[in-house]
Amino acid sequence: MEPGLLKSADWPALIDVYFFLGGMAGGAFVIATVANLLDRERYRDIVRIGYYVAFLAVIPGPVLLTVDLGLPTRFLHMLMVAKPSDAIGMDAITIGPFHLKPFSPMNAGAWALLGFSLFAFLAALDVFLEGRGGRSMRTLRVVVGVIGGFFGFFLAAYPGVLLGATARPLFIGAHWLGALFLAIGASTGGAAIAFVLSLSGGQRGDALSRLMRFTAFALIVQLAALALFMLTVSTSGSAGIARSLSHLVAGPYGVPFWLGAVVIGIVVPLALQFAGVIRKTAPAMTALVSVLILVGGFVVKYVIIAAGQAT
Amino acid sequence: MARTLAMFTDVSLCIGCRACQVACKQWNQLAPEEPEWTGTYQNHHHFTDKSYRLVRFFEETDDKGQIKQWHMMSDVCKHCAQAGCLEACPTGAIYRTEYGTVNINQDICNGCRYCVSACPFGVVAFNHDTGTATKCTFCNDRIHNGLGPACAKACPTQSIKFGFRDELAVVARKRVDELKTLGYKDARLYGEDTAGDLGGLNAFFLLLGKPSIYGLPEKPKLPQKNVVVDSLLSIGSALIVGLGALVAFRGRGGQGDA
Ligand code: SF4
Ligand code: SF4
Repeated sequence: MEPGLLKSADWPALIDVYFFLGGMAGGAFVIATVANLLDRERYRDIVRIGYYVAFLAVIPGPVLLTVDLGLPTRFLHMLMVAKPSDAIGMDAITIGPFHLKPFSPMNAGAWALLGFSLFAFLAALDVFLEGRGGRSMRTLRVVVGVIGGFFGFFLAAYPGVLLGATARPLFIGAHWLGALFLAIGASTGGAAIAFVLSLSGGQRGDALSRLMRFTAFALIVQLAALALFMLTVSTSGSAGIARSLSHLVAGPYGVPFWLGAVVIGIVVPLALQFAGVIRKTAPAMTALVSVLILVGGFVVKYVIIAAGQAT
Repeated sequence: MARTLAMFTDVSLCIGCRACQVACKQWNQLAPEEPEWTGTYQNHHHFTDKSYRLVRFFEETDDKGQIKQWHMMSDVCKHCAQAGCLEACPTGAIYRTEYGTVNINQDICNGCRYCVSACPFGVVAFNHDTGTATKCTFCNDRIHNGLGPACAKACPTQSIKFGFRDELAVVARKRVDELKTLGYKDARLYGEDTAGDLGGLNAFFLLLGKPSIYGLPEKPKLPQKNVVVDSLLSIGSALIVGLGALVAFRGRGGQGDA
Protein backbone atom coordinates (compact mmCIF):
# COMPACT_ATOMS: atom_id res chain seq x y z
CA MET A 1 0.00 0.00 0.00
CA GLU A 2 1.18 3.48 -0.77
CA PRO A 3 -0.16 5.48 2.16
CA GLY A 4 0.28 8.76 0.31
CA LEU A 5 -2.58 7.83 -1.98
CA LEU A 6 -4.94 6.77 0.74
CA LYS A 7 -7.28 9.10 2.53
CA SER A 8 -8.19 9.37 6.15
CA ALA A 9 -11.57 9.97 7.73
CA ASP A 10 -9.86 12.45 10.07
CA TRP A 11 -12.26 11.79 12.89
CA PRO A 12 -11.86 14.36 15.66
CA ALA A 13 -10.93 13.48 19.23
CA LEU A 14 -14.54 13.45 20.32
CA ILE A 15 -14.90 10.15 18.51
CA ASP A 16 -12.08 8.84 20.69
CA VAL A 17 -13.99 10.09 23.72
CA TYR A 18 -17.05 8.21 22.53
CA PHE A 19 -15.06 5.02 21.94
CA PHE A 20 -13.52 5.37 25.39
CA LEU A 21 -16.79 6.01 27.23
CA GLY A 22 -18.59 3.28 25.29
CA GLY A 23 -15.91 0.73 26.17
CA MET A 24 -15.92 1.78 29.81
CA ALA A 25 -19.72 1.57 29.92
CA GLY A 26 -19.73 -1.90 28.39
CA GLY A 27 -17.02 -3.11 30.77
CA ALA A 28 -18.70 -1.68 33.87
CA PHE A 29 -22.01 -3.23 32.85
CA VAL A 30 -20.54 -6.69 32.37
CA ILE A 31 -18.73 -6.52 35.72
CA ALA A 32 -21.94 -5.49 37.47
CA THR A 33 -23.80 -8.33 35.78
CA VAL A 34 -21.26 -10.99 36.76
CA ALA A 35 -21.11 -9.68 40.33
CA ASN A 36 -24.90 -9.65 40.50
CA LEU A 37 -25.12 -13.20 39.22
CA LEU A 38 -22.60 -14.56 41.71
CA ASP A 39 -23.56 -12.82 44.91
CA ARG A 40 -26.04 -10.05 44.75
CA GLU A 41 -25.79 -9.12 48.43
CA ARG A 42 -22.05 -9.15 48.87
CA TYR A 43 -21.44 -7.17 45.70
CA ARG A 44 -24.40 -4.84 46.10
CA ASP A 45 -22.20 -1.74 45.77
CA ILE A 46 -20.31 -2.99 42.73
CA VAL A 47 -23.60 -3.81 41.02
CA ARG A 48 -25.14 -0.47 41.84
CA ILE A 49 -22.11 1.62 40.86
CA GLY A 50 -21.42 -0.55 37.80
CA TYR A 51 -24.88 -0.07 36.37
CA TYR A 52 -24.83 3.65 37.13
CA VAL A 53 -21.42 4.09 35.52
CA ALA A 54 -22.59 2.17 32.45
CA PHE A 55 -25.67 4.30 32.05
CA LEU A 56 -23.96 7.63 32.68
CA ALA A 57 -21.06 6.79 30.37
CA VAL A 58 -23.25 5.74 27.48
CA ILE A 59 -25.55 8.78 27.51
CA PRO A 60 -22.98 11.09 25.86
CA GLY A 61 -22.48 8.53 23.05
CA PRO A 62 -25.28 9.53 20.69
CA VAL A 63 -24.67 13.18 21.56
CA LEU A 64 -20.98 13.00 20.60
CA LEU A 65 -21.82 11.18 17.39
CA THR A 66 -24.49 13.70 16.50
CA VAL A 67 -22.11 16.58 17.11
CA ASP A 68 -19.67 14.96 14.69
CA LEU A 69 -22.33 14.34 12.05
CA GLY A 70 -23.90 17.76 12.38
CA LEU A 71 -27.63 16.94 12.53
CA PRO A 72 -29.59 14.62 14.87
CA THR A 73 -31.53 13.08 11.99
CA ARG A 74 -28.25 12.01 10.46
CA PHE A 75 -27.62 9.59 13.29
CA LEU A 76 -30.90 7.89 12.42
CA HIS A 77 -29.60 7.23 8.92
CA MET A 78 -27.24 4.72 10.51
CA LEU A 79 -30.28 2.60 11.31
CA MET A 80 -33.03 3.44 8.87
CA VAL A 81 -33.84 4.77 5.42
CA ALA A 82 -35.58 2.44 2.99
CA LYS A 83 -33.38 0.89 0.33
CA PRO A 84 -33.05 -2.50 -1.34
CA SER A 85 -30.82 -4.83 0.66
CA ASP A 86 -29.07 -6.37 -2.33
CA ALA A 87 -27.62 -3.01 -3.40
CA ILE A 88 -26.00 -1.95 -0.13
CA GLY A 89 -23.43 -4.64 0.57
CA MET A 90 -22.60 -8.16 1.69
CA ASP A 91 -25.31 -9.95 3.68
CA ALA A 92 -27.21 -6.73 4.30
CA ILE A 93 -30.66 -7.18 5.81
CA THR A 94 -33.51 -4.72 5.52
CA ILE A 95 -36.70 -4.89 7.52
CA GLY A 96 -39.10 -2.13 6.63
CA PRO A 97 -37.11 1.08 6.79
CA PHE A 98 -34.41 -0.47 8.99
CA HIS A 99 -31.20 -2.03 7.82
CA LEU A 100 -28.42 -4.11 9.33
CA LYS A 101 -25.07 -4.49 7.60
CA PRO A 102 -23.05 -7.16 9.41
CA PHE A 103 -19.89 -6.27 7.52
CA SER A 104 -20.13 -2.60 8.41
CA PRO A 105 -18.99 -2.41 12.04
CA MET A 106 -20.19 1.18 12.18
CA ASN A 107 -23.72 0.10 11.31
CA ALA A 108 -23.67 -2.87 13.67
CA GLY A 109 -22.14 -0.65 16.35
CA ALA A 110 -24.94 1.90 16.02
CA TRP A 111 -27.44 -0.89 16.72
CA ALA A 112 -25.35 -2.07 19.66
CA LEU A 113 -25.28 1.46 21.04
CA LEU A 114 -29.05 1.63 20.82
CA GLY A 115 -29.55 -1.79 22.39
CA PHE A 116 -27.01 -1.18 25.13
CA SER A 117 -28.48 2.22 26.00
CA LEU A 118 -31.88 0.61 26.53
CA PHE A 119 -30.57 -2.13 28.81
CA ALA A 120 -28.22 0.22 30.66
CA PHE A 121 -31.22 2.45 31.35
CA LEU A 122 -33.30 -0.47 32.64
CA ALA A 123 -30.50 -1.74 34.86
CA ALA A 124 -29.77 1.71 36.27
CA LEU A 125 -33.48 2.25 36.88
CA ASP A 126 -33.71 -1.05 38.72
CA VAL A 127 -30.84 -0.32 41.10
CA PHE A 128 -32.16 3.20 41.58
CA LEU A 129 -35.62 1.97 42.57
CA GLU A 130 -34.08 -0.63 44.85
CA GLY A 131 -32.01 2.08 46.49
CA ARG A 132 -35.17 4.07 47.14
CA GLY A 133 -36.54 1.16 49.10
CA GLY A 134 -38.45 -0.36 46.22
CA ARG A 135 -38.27 -4.04 45.43
CA SER A 136 -35.95 -5.16 42.71
CA MET A 137 -37.19 -7.90 40.46
CA ARG A 138 -34.43 -10.47 40.69
CA THR A 139 -35.07 -12.47 37.57
CA LEU A 140 -35.69 -9.40 35.51
CA ARG A 141 -32.40 -7.89 36.59
CA VAL A 142 -30.57 -11.05 35.62
CA VAL A 143 -32.22 -11.07 32.19
CA VAL A 144 -31.50 -7.38 31.63
CA GLY A 145 -27.94 -7.90 32.85
CA VAL A 146 -27.19 -10.84 30.60
CA ILE A 147 -28.68 -9.41 27.41
CA GLY A 148 -27.23 -5.99 28.14
CA GLY A 149 -23.91 -7.64 28.89
CA PHE A 150 -23.73 -9.02 25.37
CA PHE A 151 -24.44 -5.58 23.99
CA GLY A 152 -21.81 -4.23 26.39
CA PHE A 153 -19.13 -6.54 25.07
CA PHE A 154 -20.11 -5.56 21.55
CA LEU A 155 -20.01 -1.87 22.35
CA ALA A 156 -16.53 -2.18 23.84
CA ALA A 157 -15.05 -4.21 20.98
CA TYR A 158 -16.68 -2.89 17.84
CA PRO A 159 -14.61 0.30 17.45
CA GLY A 160 -11.52 -1.88 17.16
CA VAL A 161 -13.12 -4.06 14.50
CA LEU A 162 -14.32 -0.87 12.80
CA LEU A 163 -10.78 0.45 12.54
CA GLY A 164 -9.55 -2.93 11.30
CA ALA A 165 -12.02 -2.68 8.42
CA THR A 166 -10.42 0.43 6.92
CA ALA A 167 -7.65 0.67 4.35
CA ARG A 168 -5.37 2.61 6.71
CA PRO A 169 -1.94 0.92 6.73
CA LEU A 170 -1.73 0.67 10.51
CA PHE A 171 -5.07 -1.12 10.66
CA ILE A 172 -5.51 -3.20 7.54
CA GLY A 173 -2.93 -5.79 8.57
CA ALA A 174 -3.90 -5.77 12.25
CA HIS A 175 -6.34 -8.25 13.68
CA TRP A 176 -6.22 -7.57 17.41
CA LEU A 177 -7.79 -4.16 17.76
CA GLY A 178 -11.25 -5.51 18.64
CA ALA A 179 -9.76 -7.77 21.30
CA LEU A 180 -7.62 -4.91 22.59
CA PHE A 181 -10.53 -2.50 22.80
CA LEU A 182 -12.60 -5.10 24.59
CA ALA A 183 -9.90 -5.58 27.21
CA ILE A 184 -9.56 -1.80 27.61
CA GLY A 185 -13.32 -1.65 28.16
CA ALA A 186 -13.01 -4.25 30.91
CA SER A 187 -10.04 -2.60 32.64
CA THR A 188 -11.44 0.92 32.47
CA GLY A 189 -14.91 -0.30 33.47
CA GLY A 190 -13.37 -1.98 36.51
CA ALA A 191 -11.27 1.07 37.28
CA ALA A 192 -14.26 3.40 37.05
CA ILE A 193 -16.24 1.30 39.54
CA ALA A 194 -13.21 0.98 41.81
CA PHE A 195 -12.67 4.72 41.73
CA VAL A 196 -16.19 5.51 42.87
CA LEU A 197 -16.24 2.65 45.34
CA SER A 198 -12.98 3.58 47.02
CA LEU A 199 -13.92 7.22 47.35
CA SER A 200 -17.46 6.60 48.54
CA GLY A 201 -16.12 4.29 51.22
CA GLY A 202 -18.93 1.93 50.41
CA GLN A 203 -16.77 -1.15 50.20
CA ARG A 204 -17.97 -4.22 51.97
CA GLY A 205 -15.65 -7.07 52.87
CA ASP A 206 -13.34 -8.02 50.08
CA ALA A 207 -15.47 -6.70 47.21
CA LEU A 208 -13.08 -3.93 46.28
CA SER A 209 -9.98 -6.11 46.36
CA ARG A 210 -11.72 -8.68 44.18
CA LEU A 211 -12.65 -5.95 41.75
CA MET A 212 -9.05 -4.79 41.63
CA ARG A 213 -7.91 -8.32 41.06
CA PHE A 214 -10.23 -8.61 38.08
CA THR A 215 -9.08 -5.23 36.77
CA ALA A 216 -5.48 -6.35 36.97
CA PHE A 217 -6.40 -9.47 35.03
CA ALA A 218 -8.06 -7.34 32.35
CA LEU A 219 -4.88 -5.25 32.18
CA ILE A 220 -2.86 -8.38 31.46
CA VAL A 221 -5.22 -9.27 28.62
CA GLN A 222 -4.92 -5.67 27.42
CA LEU A 223 -1.13 -5.88 27.44
CA ALA A 224 -1.19 -9.18 25.57
CA ALA A 225 -3.60 -7.86 22.93
CA LEU A 226 -1.50 -4.73 22.50
CA ALA A 227 1.63 -6.83 21.99
CA LEU A 228 -0.16 -9.08 19.49
CA PHE A 229 -1.47 -6.03 17.63
CA MET A 230 2.04 -4.67 17.24
CA LEU A 231 3.39 -8.07 16.32
CA THR A 232 0.87 -8.69 13.52
CA VAL A 233 1.36 -5.18 12.18
CA SER A 234 5.14 -5.37 12.23
CA THR A 235 5.20 -8.76 10.50
CA SER A 236 2.86 -7.78 7.67
CA GLY A 237 5.88 -6.63 5.77
CA SER A 238 4.95 -3.56 3.73
CA ALA A 239 7.00 -0.39 3.86
CA GLY A 240 3.91 1.78 4.31
CA ILE A 241 2.73 -0.29 7.24
CA ALA A 242 6.17 -0.23 8.87
CA ARG A 243 6.15 3.55 8.53
CA SER A 244 2.80 3.80 10.28
CA LEU A 245 3.93 1.56 13.09
CA SER A 246 7.08 3.57 13.67
CA HIS A 247 4.92 6.69 13.71
CA LEU A 248 3.06 5.12 16.62
CA VAL A 249 5.93 3.74 18.65
CA ALA A 250 8.79 6.09 17.80
CA GLY A 251 7.38 9.11 16.02
CA PRO A 252 5.27 11.94 17.43
CA TYR A 253 3.14 9.43 19.37
CA GLY A 254 6.07 7.48 20.78
CA VAL A 255 6.21 9.22 24.16
CA PRO A 256 2.46 9.16 24.90
CA PHE A 257 2.35 5.58 23.67
CA TRP A 258 5.11 4.19 25.86
CA LEU A 259 4.71 6.49 28.82
CA GLY A 260 0.95 6.96 28.84
CA ALA A 261 -0.47 3.80 27.37
CA VAL A 262 2.07 1.24 28.51
CA VAL A 263 3.85 2.50 31.65
CA ILE A 264 1.18 4.62 33.36
CA GLY A 265 -1.80 2.72 32.06
CA ILE A 266 -0.64 -0.86 32.44
CA VAL A 267 2.79 -1.46 34.00
CA VAL A 268 2.53 0.77 37.07
CA PRO A 269 -1.00 -0.36 38.05
CA LEU A 270 0.00 -4.00 37.60
CA ALA A 271 3.17 -3.55 39.62
CA LEU A 272 1.28 -1.91 42.46
CA GLN A 273 -1.34 -4.65 42.35
CA PHE A 274 1.16 -7.47 42.47
CA ALA A 275 3.29 -5.78 45.11
CA GLY A 276 0.19 -5.84 47.26
CA VAL A 277 0.36 -2.09 47.75
CA ILE A 278 -3.28 -1.62 46.85
CA ARG A 279 -4.57 -4.02 49.44
CA LYS A 280 -2.58 -2.68 52.32
CA THR A 281 -3.01 1.03 51.86
CA ALA A 282 -5.82 3.48 52.10
CA PRO A 283 -8.60 3.60 49.53
CA ALA A 284 -6.91 6.70 48.16
CA MET A 285 -4.27 4.44 46.64
CA THR A 286 -6.93 2.38 44.88
CA ALA A 287 -8.49 5.57 43.59
CA LEU A 288 -5.16 6.74 42.27
CA VAL A 289 -4.44 3.47 40.50
CA SER A 290 -7.93 3.57 39.00
CA VAL A 291 -7.23 6.99 37.59
CA LEU A 292 -3.97 5.73 36.06
CA ILE A 293 -5.83 2.87 34.39
CA LEU A 294 -8.49 5.22 33.05
CA VAL A 295 -5.92 7.65 31.70
CA GLY A 296 -3.91 4.83 30.12
CA GLY A 297 -7.05 3.33 28.56
CA PHE A 298 -7.90 6.59 26.90
CA VAL A 299 -4.35 7.32 25.78
CA VAL A 300 -3.84 3.93 24.13
CA LYS A 301 -7.01 4.33 22.06
CA TYR A 302 -6.19 7.92 21.28
CA VAL A 303 -2.63 7.33 20.05
CA ILE A 304 -3.53 4.28 17.98
CA ILE A 305 -6.36 6.11 16.24
CA ALA A 306 -4.31 9.27 15.78
CA ALA A 307 -1.27 7.45 14.38
CA GLY A 308 -3.48 5.34 12.11
CA GLN A 309 -5.22 8.38 10.74
CA ALA A 310 -2.05 10.40 10.27
CA THR A 311 0.00 7.88 8.32
CA MET B 1 -29.01 -6.54 -13.14
CA ALA B 2 -28.29 -5.01 -16.51
CA ARG B 3 -25.06 -5.70 -18.31
CA THR B 4 -22.09 -4.32 -16.40
CA LEU B 5 -20.73 -1.06 -17.72
CA ALA B 6 -17.06 -0.24 -17.48
CA MET B 7 -14.37 2.27 -18.20
CA PHE B 8 -11.06 1.23 -19.67
CA THR B 9 -8.23 3.74 -19.27
CA ASP B 10 -5.24 3.06 -21.50
CA VAL B 11 -2.30 5.04 -20.12
CA SER B 12 -0.25 4.40 -23.26
CA LEU B 13 -2.57 6.75 -25.14
CA CYS B 14 -2.79 9.49 -22.50
CA ILE B 15 -1.17 12.78 -23.49
CA GLY B 16 -1.90 14.49 -20.17
CA CYS B 17 -4.17 17.14 -21.68
CA ARG B 18 -6.65 16.92 -18.81
CA ALA B 19 -9.68 17.32 -21.06
CA CYS B 20 -11.30 14.55 -19.02
CA GLN B 21 -10.68 16.40 -15.77
CA VAL B 22 -12.23 19.57 -17.15
CA ALA B 23 -15.19 17.77 -18.75
CA CYS B 24 -15.90 16.05 -15.44
CA LYS B 25 -15.86 19.32 -13.56
CA GLN B 26 -18.17 20.95 -16.09
CA TRP B 27 -20.74 18.19 -16.38
CA ASN B 28 -20.90 17.56 -12.66
CA GLN B 29 -20.87 21.29 -11.92
CA LEU B 30 -17.98 21.00 -9.51
CA ALA B 31 -16.83 24.34 -8.18
CA PRO B 32 -13.39 25.77 -8.95
CA GLU B 33 -10.58 25.13 -6.48
CA GLU B 34 -7.34 26.75 -5.49
CA PRO B 35 -4.63 25.19 -7.65
CA GLU B 36 -2.03 23.14 -5.82
CA TRP B 37 1.66 23.00 -6.60
CA THR B 38 2.52 19.33 -6.84
CA GLY B 39 5.91 19.59 -8.54
CA THR B 40 4.52 18.31 -11.84
CA TYR B 41 1.71 19.25 -14.19
CA GLN B 42 -0.61 17.36 -11.90
CA ASN B 43 -3.24 19.37 -10.09
CA HIS B 44 -4.33 18.38 -7.35
CA HIS B 45 -2.34 15.96 -5.24
CA HIS B 46 -5.32 13.73 -4.91
CA PHE B 47 -9.01 13.39 -5.63
CA THR B 48 -11.00 16.09 -3.89
CA ASP B 49 -14.68 16.72 -3.32
CA LYS B 50 -14.50 18.83 -6.46
CA SER B 51 -12.21 16.69 -8.61
CA TYR B 52 -13.54 13.24 -9.43
CA ARG B 53 -11.19 12.73 -12.37
CA LEU B 54 -7.52 13.37 -11.85
CA VAL B 55 -4.74 13.17 -14.38
CA ARG B 56 -1.66 11.97 -12.54
CA PHE B 57 1.91 12.59 -13.69
CA PHE B 58 4.73 10.32 -12.58
CA GLU B 59 8.44 10.34 -13.25
CA GLU B 60 9.94 6.88 -13.25
CA THR B 61 13.60 6.95 -12.28
CA ASP B 62 16.35 4.40 -12.82
CA ASP B 63 18.81 3.15 -10.21
CA LYS B 64 20.92 6.30 -10.52
CA GLY B 65 17.92 8.54 -9.92
CA GLN B 66 17.85 9.68 -13.55
CA ILE B 67 14.41 10.13 -15.08
CA LYS B 68 13.72 7.11 -17.22
CA GLN B 69 10.19 7.73 -18.37
CA TRP B 70 7.23 9.99 -17.90
CA HIS B 71 3.91 8.43 -17.11
CA MET B 72 0.51 10.01 -17.41
CA MET B 73 -2.61 8.39 -16.18
CA SER B 74 -6.16 9.61 -15.87
CA ASP B 75 -7.29 8.24 -12.53
CA VAL B 76 -10.83 7.72 -11.33
CA CYS B 77 -12.99 5.76 -8.90
CA LYS B 78 -12.61 2.10 -9.80
CA HIS B 79 -16.23 1.12 -9.12
CA CYS B 80 -14.84 -2.04 -7.55
CA ALA B 81 -16.90 -5.22 -7.78
CA GLN B 82 -16.10 -5.63 -4.08
CA ALA B 83 -16.06 -2.04 -2.92
CA GLY B 84 -14.59 -1.09 0.45
CA CYS B 85 -16.52 2.17 0.51
CA LEU B 86 -19.85 0.48 -0.14
CA GLU B 87 -19.34 -2.22 2.45
CA ALA B 88 -18.21 0.31 5.06
CA CYS B 89 -21.12 2.71 4.61
CA PRO B 90 -23.34 2.37 7.70
CA THR B 91 -26.29 4.19 6.17
CA GLY B 92 -26.65 2.36 2.88
CA ALA B 93 -26.04 5.66 1.08
CA ILE B 94 -23.47 3.90 -1.07
CA TYR B 95 -25.21 1.48 -3.36
CA ARG B 96 -24.58 -0.56 -6.47
CA THR B 97 -26.52 0.43 -9.54
CA GLU B 98 -28.04 -2.01 -12.00
CA TYR B 99 -25.03 -1.35 -14.21
CA GLY B 100 -22.58 -2.53 -11.56
CA THR B 101 -21.32 0.97 -10.74
CA VAL B 102 -20.99 2.37 -7.21
CA ASN B 103 -22.81 5.54 -6.23
CA ILE B 104 -23.28 7.69 -3.15
CA ASN B 105 -26.84 8.83 -2.49
CA GLN B 106 -26.29 12.38 -1.25
CA ASP B 107 -29.65 12.49 0.56
CA ILE B 108 -28.86 9.48 2.69
CA CYS B 109 -25.15 10.03 3.38
CA ASN B 110 -24.78 11.26 6.96
CA GLY B 111 -21.21 12.44 6.71
CA CYS B 112 -19.60 9.80 8.92
CA ARG B 113 -16.54 9.57 6.59
CA TYR B 114 -16.07 5.87 7.15
CA CYS B 115 -15.99 5.31 3.39
CA VAL B 116 -13.17 7.84 3.06
CA SER B 117 -10.82 5.65 5.07
CA ALA B 118 -12.20 2.38 3.69
CA CYS B 119 -11.41 2.90 0.00
CA PRO B 120 -8.20 1.03 -0.89
CA PHE B 121 -7.43 3.74 -3.45
CA GLY B 122 -8.23 6.85 -1.42
CA VAL B 123 -10.91 7.94 -3.86
CA VAL B 124 -13.81 9.19 -1.73
CA ALA B 125 -13.52 12.80 -0.58
CA PHE B 126 -15.52 14.61 2.04
CA ASN B 127 -17.35 17.79 1.09
CA HIS B 128 -17.31 20.09 4.11
CA ASP B 129 -19.98 22.36 2.63
CA THR B 130 -22.63 19.69 2.24
CA GLY B 131 -21.26 17.45 4.98
CA THR B 132 -21.40 14.45 2.67
CA ALA B 133 -18.98 12.12 0.92
CA THR B 134 -18.51 12.48 -2.82
CA LYS B 135 -16.84 10.71 -5.70
CA CYS B 136 -17.15 9.82 -9.37
CA THR B 137 -20.55 8.41 -10.31
CA PHE B 138 -19.58 7.29 -13.81
CA CYS B 139 -21.88 10.22 -14.70
CA ASN B 140 -24.87 8.35 -13.40
CA ASP B 141 -27.30 10.78 -15.03
CA ARG B 142 -25.63 10.42 -18.42
CA ILE B 143 -25.30 6.66 -18.47
CA HIS B 144 -28.94 6.25 -17.52
CA ASN B 145 -29.76 8.28 -20.61
CA GLY B 146 -27.58 6.47 -23.06
CA LEU B 147 -24.66 8.86 -22.99
CA GLY B 148 -21.18 7.83 -21.94
CA PRO B 149 -19.43 9.58 -19.04
CA ALA B 150 -18.27 13.11 -19.82
CA CYS B 151 -14.58 12.23 -19.40
CA ALA B 152 -14.69 9.41 -21.94
CA LYS B 153 -16.59 11.64 -24.36
CA ALA B 154 -14.01 14.40 -24.07
CA CYS B 155 -10.84 12.32 -24.28
CA PRO B 156 -9.24 13.21 -27.64
CA THR B 157 -7.01 10.13 -27.84
CA GLN B 158 -9.52 7.55 -26.65
CA SER B 159 -7.29 6.80 -23.71
CA ILE B 160 -10.58 6.56 -21.81
CA LYS B 161 -13.02 4.10 -23.34
CA PHE B 162 -16.48 3.38 -22.04
CA GLY B 163 -18.76 0.47 -22.79
CA PHE B 164 -19.91 -2.96 -21.72
CA ARG B 165 -17.35 -4.58 -19.49
CA ASP B 166 -17.04 -7.86 -21.36
CA GLU B 167 -16.50 -6.12 -24.69
CA LEU B 168 -13.98 -3.67 -23.27
CA ALA B 169 -12.01 -6.51 -21.69
CA VAL B 170 -11.50 -8.05 -25.13
CA VAL B 171 -10.31 -4.72 -26.53
CA ALA B 172 -7.98 -4.28 -23.56
CA ARG B 173 -6.37 -7.70 -23.88
CA LYS B 174 -5.74 -7.16 -27.57
CA ARG B 175 -4.16 -3.82 -26.84
CA VAL B 176 -1.72 -5.36 -24.33
CA ASP B 177 -0.61 -7.91 -26.93
CA GLU B 178 -0.17 -5.14 -29.47
CA LEU B 179 1.98 -3.10 -27.09
CA LYS B 180 4.08 -6.11 -26.22
CA THR B 181 4.92 -6.73 -29.87
CA LEU B 182 5.85 -3.06 -30.08
CA GLY B 183 8.40 -3.63 -27.33
CA TYR B 184 6.53 -2.48 -24.22
CA LYS B 185 7.43 -5.59 -22.29
CA ASP B 186 5.94 -4.45 -19.00
CA ALA B 187 2.51 -3.54 -20.36
CA ARG B 188 -0.25 -5.10 -18.30
CA LEU B 189 -3.87 -4.76 -17.32
CA TYR B 190 -4.84 -3.64 -13.84
CA GLY B 191 -8.22 -4.65 -12.44
CA GLU B 192 -9.52 -6.30 -15.60
CA ASP B 193 -9.61 -9.80 -14.12
CA THR B 194 -12.99 -10.43 -12.44
CA ALA B 195 -11.41 -13.37 -10.60
CA GLY B 196 -8.64 -11.12 -9.26
CA ASP B 197 -8.38 -8.61 -6.42
CA LEU B 198 -11.64 -6.96 -5.35
CA GLY B 199 -13.53 -9.09 -7.84
CA GLY B 200 -12.22 -6.88 -10.62
CA LEU B 201 -12.49 -3.13 -11.11
CA ASN B 202 -15.21 -1.71 -13.32
CA ALA B 203 -12.81 1.08 -14.16
CA PHE B 204 -9.75 -0.87 -15.15
CA PHE B 205 -6.44 0.25 -16.59
CA LEU B 206 -3.71 -0.59 -19.00
CA LEU B 207 -0.39 0.24 -17.36
CA LEU B 208 3.07 0.35 -18.90
CA GLY B 209 4.80 -0.90 -15.78
CA LYS B 210 4.35 -1.98 -12.19
CA PRO B 211 1.22 -0.59 -10.45
CA SER B 212 3.46 1.05 -7.84
CA ILE B 213 4.84 3.42 -10.51
CA TYR B 214 1.32 4.81 -10.72
CA GLY B 215 0.79 4.88 -6.97
CA LEU B 216 -1.59 1.94 -7.19
CA PRO B 217 -1.47 -0.89 -4.65
CA GLU B 218 -0.05 -4.14 -6.07
CA LYS B 219 -2.68 -6.18 -4.31
CA PRO B 220 -5.61 -4.06 -3.17
CA LYS B 221 -7.49 -5.72 -0.33
CA LEU B 222 -11.11 -5.42 0.70
CA PRO B 223 -10.82 -4.06 4.26
CA GLN B 224 -14.00 -5.85 5.35
CA LYS B 225 -12.23 -9.17 4.83
CA ASN B 226 -10.84 -8.52 8.33
CA VAL B 227 -14.22 -8.36 10.01
CA VAL B 228 -14.71 -12.08 10.61
CA VAL B 229 -11.27 -12.77 12.08
CA ASP B 230 -11.26 -9.57 14.14
CA SER B 231 -14.71 -10.39 15.51
CA LEU B 232 -13.69 -13.93 16.43
CA LEU B 233 -10.62 -12.64 18.26
CA SER B 234 -12.84 -10.13 20.06
CA ILE B 235 -15.19 -12.91 21.11
CA GLY B 236 -12.19 -14.91 22.32
CA SER B 237 -11.00 -12.02 24.43
CA ALA B 238 -14.57 -11.52 25.71
CA LEU B 239 -14.60 -15.15 26.85
CA ILE B 240 -11.27 -14.78 28.63
CA VAL B 241 -12.29 -11.54 30.31
CA GLY B 242 -15.69 -12.98 31.25
CA LEU B 243 -14.05 -16.04 32.72
CA GLY B 244 -11.65 -13.82 34.62
CA ALA B 245 -14.59 -11.96 36.12
CA LEU B 246 -16.26 -15.21 37.16
CA VAL B 247 -13.10 -16.40 38.89
CA ALA B 248 -12.40 -13.06 40.55
CA PHE B 249 -15.89 -12.69 42.01
CA ARG B 250 -16.61 -16.31 42.83
CA GLY B 251 -16.12 -18.10 46.15
CA ARG B 252 -16.10 -17.03 49.75
CA GLY B 253 -12.55 -15.91 50.63
CA GLY B 254 -13.51 -13.20 53.09
CA GLN B 255 -10.12 -11.59 53.68
CA GLY B 256 -9.51 -10.02 50.30
CA ASP B 257 -6.54 -12.13 49.33
CA ALA B 258 -5.08 -10.98 46.03
S1 SF4 C 1 -12.33 2.80 -5.88
FE1 SF4 C 1 -12.81 3.31 -3.77
S2 SF4 C 1 -14.53 4.73 -3.94
FE2 SF4 C 1 -14.38 3.66 -5.92
S3 SF4 C 1 -15.76 1.88 -5.70
FE3 SF4 C 1 -13.71 1.18 -5.13
S4 SF4 C 1 -13.69 1.43 -2.89
FE4 SF4 C 1 -15.38 2.67 -3.64
S1 SF4 D 1 -19.75 9.40 4.71
FE1 SF4 D 1 -21.74 8.99 3.78
S2 SF4 D 1 -21.33 7.63 2.06
FE2 SF4 D 1 -19.50 7.61 3.37
S3 SF4 D 1 -19.79 5.85 4.74
FE3 SF4 D 1 -20.62 7.65 5.82
S4 SF4 D 1 -22.80 7.65 5.27
FE4 SF4 D 1 -21.79 6.30 3.80
